[in-house]
Amino acid sequence: MATHALNPAAATYSRGRLYEWLTTTDHKKIGIMYVINSFLFFLIGGVLALVVRTELAAPGLQFLTDEHVYNQMFTMHATMMIFLFVIPMLAGLGNYIVPLQIGAPDMAFPRINALSLWMLPLGGILLVSSFFTGGTAAAGWTSYPPLSLDGPLKSPGSGQDLWIVSLVLIGTSSILGAINFLVTIFKMRAPGMTLFRMPIMVWTVLVTSVLVLMATPVITSALVMLFIDRNYGGTFFDPFGGGSAVLYQNIFWFYSHPAVYVMILPAMGVISEVLPVFSRKPLFGYKAFIFATAGIGALGFSVWAHHMFTTGSVFLPFFSLLTFLIAVPTGVKMFNWVFTLFRGQLTFSTPLIFAIGFLSMFLIGGINGAFSASVPVDFALHDTYWVVAHIHYVLFGGSVFGIFAGLYYWFPKMFGRMLDEGLGKVHFVLMFIGFNLTFFPMHMLGLQGMPRRIADYASDAGWNDWNMAATIGGFLIAASILPFIWNVFVSLRNGKIAGDDPWEGNTLEWATASPPPPYNFDHLPEIRSERPVFDARHAQTGH
Amino acid sequence: MSTSPRKRPAPDVLIAGLVVVILVALVLAVFLTGWGKTLYPPDAVTQQARDVRGLYDIVFAIGVAIFLLVEGLIVWSVLRYRRRPTDTELPAQTHGNNLVEVIWTVIPTAIVLYMFVISWQTLNYVDAVSASPDIRIHAIAGQFQWQFEYLDRDGKKVASQLAPAYDAETGAGGMAVPVGRSVQVTLDSPDVIHAFYVPRFLFKRDVIPGQTNTFEFTVDAAEAGQVFRGQCAELCGTGHRSMLFSVIALSQSDYDTWLKALIEKSNATPAPLPSGTVLNVTAEGIKFDAASLEVPADAPFAIAFSNKDPAGVPHDVDIRDSSGTVVENQETINGGTSANYAYTPLPAGTYMFFCSIHANMTGTLTVK
Repeated sequence: MATHALNPAAATYSRGRLYEWLTTTDHKKIGIMYVINSFLFFLIGGVLALVVRTELAAPGLQFLTDEHVYNQMFTMHATMMIFLFVIPMLAGLGNYIVPLQIGAPDMAFPRINALSLWMLPLGGILLVSSFFTGGTAAAGWTSYPPLSLDGPLKSPGSGQDLWIVSLVLIGTSSILGAINFLVTIFKMRAPGMTLFRMPIMVWTVLVTSVLVLMATPVITSALVMLFIDRNYGGTFFDPFGGGSAVLYQNIFWFYSHPAVYVMILPAMGVISEVLPVFSRKPLFGYKAFIFATAGIGALGFSVWAHHMFTTGSVFLPFFSLLTFLIAVPTGVKMFNWVFTLFRGQLTFSTPLIFAIGFLSMFLIGGINGAFSASVPVDFALHDTYWVVAHIHYVLFGGSVFGIFAGLYYWFPKMFGRMLDEGLGKVHFVLMFIGFNLTFFPMHMLGLQGMPRRIADYASDAGWNDWNMAATIGGFLIAASILPFIWNVFVSLRNGKIAGDDPWEGNTLEWATASPPPPYNFDHLPEIRSERPVFDARHAQTGH
Repeated sequence: MSTSPRKRPAPDVLIAGLVVVILVALVLAVFLTGWGKTLYPPDAVTQQARDVRGLYDIVFAIGVAIFLLVEGLIVWSVLRYRRRPTDTELPAQTHGNNLVEVIWTVIPTAIVLYMFVISWQTLNYVDAVSASPDIRIHAIAGQFQWQFEYLDRDGKKVASQLAPAYDAETGAGGMAVPVGRSVQVTLDSPDVIHAFYVPRFLFKRDVIPGQTNTFEFTVDAAEAGQVFRGQCAELCGTGHRSMLFSVIALSQSDYDTWLKALIEKSNATPAPLPSGTVLNVTAEGIKFDAASLEVPADAPFAIAFSNKDPAGVPHDVDIRDSSGTVVENQETINGGTSANYAYTPLPAGTYMFFCSIHANMTGTLTVK
């Protein structure tokens, strides 16, 4: 092997710590930077949400007297939370965890991995820069034309163009990441790690990557057409030039509905790692869970038009039926999780508490979704605050609780120290109460007829109390983030030393040091099931 | 339990207990204080809406039952299966059970198929449009106002209503419909996407440029004399929240009177221009053609106003003083039409003229 001597200079050459992080191709450092970048945009997006909630606290325009600014606020809130927080945060967790869980030394394409990371802050900076160049996009995160086209009272100015370019960049990053995950999972598994011995987290990242790979190019095409319409006189989506406004919606949702699964499947993966470990039981129905995940992924491509029931140009029964059917694999997963807890021995560490928060809240998000699958009921609820409640029970009650479960669960692996349990529980309780106080009343507001995306409402419409409650809840959620940030800063320095396997984990990431060395593993345990570390721990006791 | 009653409970128990207390308190608060009603849509006022409401009640009942079952299982597992200090042995390592997994796949499939079928049945009724409805209305939603054109049986326009909000004092404005009659609404937009939404109809339909959507409803006879709020439900720009309208349910005879008055008003010749100062103002491309106007103080004046935007884009020329108080309020006119606006004498000073629909359409009016 050693056919020539190492250049002596290379051995002594030491890089600065900052330079080391900026140029790294180590999936673990990249994963951590994904998480940090995403968390920063979570904070910005959260502040924007508080601005929106403050304006809506009481009737009248008190705070944002210019409605155009209000429209910018909710547009940027949703854009950042979806494209710069939830999707990349889960991709970041996957980036850190997937190679470890399959016993690989790194991702298949480390430099492409670094490229997909660094496109994210670039896209984010472009998006944020529109605040300083005459106003951001203000046509909602969906950016339906003709409102998003150029023209007076539509979307003049560069904000909408920057939004398009930013999303194309982020989308490209997602596509590169998805290819990287797929190749890593199919080609770099350790000996013995068959597909049906892979941790559920890896399975959900696998299915998510397929969704990203098939759907993201489609929205990119919609964005490019929108850009042509705005800047080069195209009329793809301009009904007065021979185009179709509804065409955009079809293309947009063909991506954006699967994108909901991109945002929830890896969070489900996190939960499926946490629940077994803290119940001391295997996941109930491992294979059924995998088939359900694949089923959700497949069905996810045939339900996009349920966002368009009120357009009058959709074949309603087809999309209604498939939307109802997607509840079945989701329900299967819910029962699998609950029966994992059932007859277990539960230790209520922070990751498990967040995981149970996920179960309870995602349950509501699944049930109130069935209302919208019923087309006539959707005629009443569509584009009201009911839908805002639904999406937040799925993406906050589901994805965000799942993300925090994952952060508390893997923080010891990433940094070698434990997060403080007390602060973690304060975080959970505040967030859980704040979340429900914010989003549950939105069901009532929607039923009583409050449309989404309005800057103001009449004081006699009967919406005052619930709006005030939602705003108070919003500030409680914001307050709940403070103990988390404090916890991270304190625990990085003074947290209890974690050791290799603080939770008695099941999967391979717990078979190496915390934090793992750059090459991940000195040696691997034998892989004979989906719980190799469990098997090694209990080898003598006959389980 | 081996622990004695006086022993302090573990923090885990406290937190689990807290979560349960909060959940129970929320459910109790919602159902005991009359807030439970807010979990249902408002009372339906059309025949179609009553069908939707019946469907909602079934979906809601199924949803609550599933929630209580699964949430109950979660809470019970959390309370019952806490790890105790005595738990040194692993619990039974159950990997699954084919029978229960088949059961919880088949039963939910049956439930969602049932919900799909009843939804489809309701849809066929709610979404139906007849060839010969009793009343035809053409609603045009432009940024940021509604217009309602009343059509005869052949679809010819007989009257146009430009004031979409009902004025309780004068009885003017709004979209009037007779109770007990089938009303067919066709929807068009001259600019961006809007949505026709009346919460008490439990219904909305998008208004899409380049595509005419149609729906039908029949207001219950008992609702005569009632006024229902309506609002644009699809983000349409800076004036989205102010795209309000009201639907007035009238008895057939009141409706006939109302429509006759509207037809007369629609056919009336525009008021002749008063003597004195007359200015020409044109609106086109959501812009006035003048940035500043000048009129003499303490004398009546008029504006011959021409709206050259497409039909469905209404404008007017109102005036507010330097403190922001609106001192002259004219009625909006439809795109493609013109009107003569007469204004009362104003004291000398600087004013602003503006379009009440489009916040960006403003100019300076100097009175001296």
